[in-house]
Amino acid sequence: MIINWYTVFFQIINFIALVFLLRRYLYGPIIESMAARESKIIEREEAAAKIASEAVAQGLDYKQKVTTLQDRDAEVLAKVKENAEIESRQLLAKAREQVDETHKRWHEAVAREQESFIHNLRSQVGRQACRIAKQCLKELADEKLETMIWAIFPRKLQELSPEEKNKLQKAFDGAQKVLLRSTFKPTEEKLQELTVNLSEIFGKKVQLTQQTSTDLICGVELEVGGYRIAWSVIEYLSEMEKEILEHLHKSGNKKGTADA
Amino acid sequence: MNINPDELIIYQLGWFQINATILVTWIIMAFLVIGSWLVTRRLTSEGPLTRGQNLLEVLVTMITEQIEEVSRQTPGPYLPFIGTLFIFIAVANLLSVVPGYIPPTSSLSTTTALAISVFIAVPVFGITRHSLKHYAKQYLQPTFFMLPFNIIGEISRTLALAVRLYGNIMSGTIIVAILLTITPLFFPVIMQVLGLLTGLIQAYIFAILAMVYIASASKAHQKIEDKGE
Repeated sequence: MIINWYTVFFQIINFIALVFLLRRYLYGPIIESMAARESKIIEREEAAAKIASEAVAQGLDYKQKVTTLQDRDAEVLAKVKENAEIESRQLLAKAREQVDETHKRWHEAVAREQESFIHNLRSQVGRQACRIAKQCLKELADEKLETMIWAIFPRKLQELSPEEKNKLQKAFDGAQKVLLRSTFKPTEEKLQELTVNLSEIFGKKVQLTQQTSTDLICGVELEVGGYRIAWSVIEYLSEMEKEILEHLHKSGNKKGTADA
Repeated sequence: MNINPDELIIYQLGWFQINATILVTWIIMAFLVIGSWLVTRRLTSEGPLTRGQNLLEVLVTMITEQIEEVSRQTPGPYLPFIGTLFIFIAVANLLSVVPGYIPPTSSLSTTTALAISVFIAVPVFGITRHSLKHYAKQYLQPTFFMLPFNIIGEISRTLALAVRLYGNIMSGTIIVAILLTITPLFFPVIMQVLGLLTGLIQAYIFAILAMVYIASASKAHQKIEDKGE
């Protein structure tokens, strides 16, 4: 017989024994080991997924923070620019004000200088004119200037217009005093003569007070109760001053336009 | 020519005798158990794996996947039985490259023993999974008159299982033996290599068929239960 039942029985026993032995020493440990590794891998994957989700959340958080900071930066920058613009405008306005102020002061100083110069010039020119006139009168006509002035002044009074005489009369009625100011002191005779002339004009006796003044420059001034009649070089000099000032103004404007 | 290892008596004491089939089987068993123990005593679930652990894990994973694929069930309960069938037959056949080695699977007694094991395992797994009543109903399907044919079918497939493995391995051994006498140098080597392939394929076929029988029995019972409900 090709089948040995004794061997068959032994082989069945052997196979069953092998099944249990391999279950004990092969399948059980290997399956457990693989399961343990699998669970560890799952744990690691879960941990990695958790870390990844945390990282993503942190990334989003940082992104939001960066966006907020950028927005804030832009706001701060805009504010700084605005402040700088305002400051710049203020400083510019202040600088312009200072320049205008300096310019104005300079103009005032120039005007003062001009005025002072003109005033001095007028005085100098007047004095020089008087001196020359006196010299001319003395050398050419053998006459003194003051004598000529005192000779002409009564005549000027006589030549006053009726309107002016009327005003003078009204002023005299209110004051009763007459002040005579002159560059040169008149002689007593001239003074008496003038008093008589004035008394004739006003029709009353006049109390004349004489006062010497260098400001008049070759002239005589009569003041009655706030009304004043003068005859002097100052009037001519004032005309000359006016012309010089106009000339200076024109020169100044031309220079200013050229500078601009 | 006598190449039946059952008839090669190694030791005898009264009725107790140890023939070549039993001895070689024990050697293979010792090789498998000791080899497994040596590898699995130092298993690690972290870091680099040893070569042995890697090999065994690959083997177990492959068997598990095959069982799962064939049965469409959890492979856990079937793994020791089916896995042992495959590993034992494969190792027994592959060792035939060793000169002078006679594979125990070339003995009809061994293949019969394995087929009987499958024959027993089918109802055992079926009853364990469901119940005796439900399992017994399978033999009465579709009618009561089919009972003898179902029983004959069970026996014949067990016989086919035993004879297929025996025939393949024994024929391989016989062909090599015949060729050795005709062309002693070249052809036996090719046939030996072919024998390795055949041996491995036969191990796979035996294990898969066993799994198919067990799984079909479980599924058939499942269908009966579903109908009953």
